Amino acid sequence: MKKIIRTWTINGEARTVEIPPMRRLLDVLREDLELKGTKEGCGEGECGACSVLLNGEPVTACLIAAGQVPEGADILTVEGLERTEGGRLLQKLYVEKGAAQCGFCIPGMLIASYAYLQNPDRDNTDHALRDAHAGNICRCTGYVKIVEAVRAAAEQWPKPSPLPSPGGRG
Amino acid sequence: MNALEQTILLEPATLAEALQLQADEATRGLPLAGGTDLMVQWESGVRPPPPRALNIKSLPELRELQLDNSTLVIGAGVTHATLRRAPLVCEHAPSLAHAAAEIGGAQIQALGTIGGSIGNASPAGDLAPSLLVADAEVELASVRGARRVPVASFLLGYRKLDLAPDELIVRFHIPVLPPGAREGWRKLGPRAAQAISKVMGSYRGRIENGRIAQFAVALGSVAPTAIRLRGVEQWLIGRAIDSDTLAGAEQRAADEVHPIADIRSTAEYRRWVSGRLVRSFLEQLATS
Ligand SMILES: Cc1cc2nc3c(=O)[nH]c(=O)nc-3n(C[C@H](O)[C@H](O)[C@H](O)COP(=O)(O)OP(=O)(O)OC[C@H]3O[C@@H](n4cnc5c(N)ncnc54)[C@H](O)[C@@H]3O)c2cc1C
Repeated sequence: MKKIIRTWTINGEARTVEIPPMRRLLDVLREDLELKGTKEGCGEGECGACSVLLNGEPVTACLIAAGQVPEGADILTVEGLERTEGGRLLQKLYVEKGAAQCGFCIPGMLIASYAYLQNPDRDNTDHALRDAHAGNICRCTGYVKIVEAVRAAAEQWPKPSPLPSPGGRG
Repeated sequence: MNALEQTILLEPATLAEALQLQADEATRGLPLAGGTDLMVQWESGVRPPPPRALNIKSLPELRELQLDNSTLVIGAGVTHATLRRAPLVCEHAPSLAHAAAEIGGAQIQALGTIGGSIGNASPAGDLAPSLLVADAEVELASVRGARRVPVASFLLGYRKLDLAPDELIVRFHIPVLPPGAREGWRKLGPRAAQAISKVMGSYRGRIENGRIAQFAVALGSVAPTAIRLRGVEQWLIGRAIDSDTLAGAEQRAADEVHPIADIRSTAEYRRWVSGRLVRSFLEQLATS
């Protein structure tokens, strides 16, 4: 198998990997880069536990062949969240509101929350907030406390976006 | 190394390069766009990974989105996330934007494409009905040349398309919503998000002087492909939307579909819901 070499910006740092192109991005993150914060739940895109931000958009890393992630792409995982002001705010509010129980879905859930909150045109209705988290399944909380945490974060969300602008996505 | 990692990923930089690769059986790869159908099929073992996959995700030619006179042109690689947000789509093909907004969740919408939705050839693909009611055409390309086919005749049957092995879906041509006309979309499934539809559909219609001047309705998951209900459509033209019309259309719609029972629903329920959906579309049109 011919391997490919890719350099991506992961959590703000340039990281280079040499990988089979059809290896799932999820496996590259967890196994090659040892970023174990991103979880594998269903492996079929249903549960959202493996969500990461790819060029600013939330995606399920289990459905992406790493070779499809272009050179220079920007990836944010849960490990990178706490380096951002918004990420730290979310962490604090998830704790304060009791939004995490077993915690398995939380890395992906936080990514969905962050993606929603980072959007400057975000619609602050309950429907839009829930819709932004519709791809993340939590079996413990019943979502109420997660919604409370995100709603609180929306009120205090830091203005300027520290995230690199999305590049080349339709 | 797992089975999927044995697959070779072809990475054409342009559409022309991709078509060149597809022209020869010895170099051809299975087109891989967002992977939201394919990766699931491969990982769950429903379908073995192919020897070669063709990465079409980054092809710039498939990303176009523009208005060409009264036709909306949408590249096969445009994602559901773009469809739901793009002002051009929201204005000129609102039911397509609405359908895209209800596919999966944000993560699936960011990955999945319109070309993949049609390319997957599932009767449960949520975008087909909106293309059908707009009389949209699909443009296909190969080294032999390009051709345009109505989406209605492109969908040949269950998992069957009028697509040659060397062809790629390049773009869709969608006649815009005419002045005075209205569109709608509705999907019924076990939950609002992240669920495959039991029945879904779209309509495009126009009332003139209190009577139905134009009406197109298409439903999915009620036949081997998404279908237009031509019998109901014809019966409705010229009628006022009153209780007799609603009852007649509901009955005719239920008679016109031929659903099956599967893991997601029963044939009987799908038939009943089809009638109710058409009724609700007409009620919506009446209030416009
Ligand atoms: C969790 C989850 C939830 C989902 N929910 C929904 C839902 O609610 N509604 C719905 O309709 N779908 C849903 N889907 C299915 C899926 O998102 C869509 O069918 C999607 O549009 C497929 O697009 P893709 O780009 O990911 O296709 P891919 O998986 O890359 O490809 C799908 C098929 O199309 C072919 N293909 C792709 N592009 C081309 C092209 N340009 N030319 C020729 N052939 C091509 C491929 O070879 C393949 O056979 C869901 C999927 C998941 C994983």
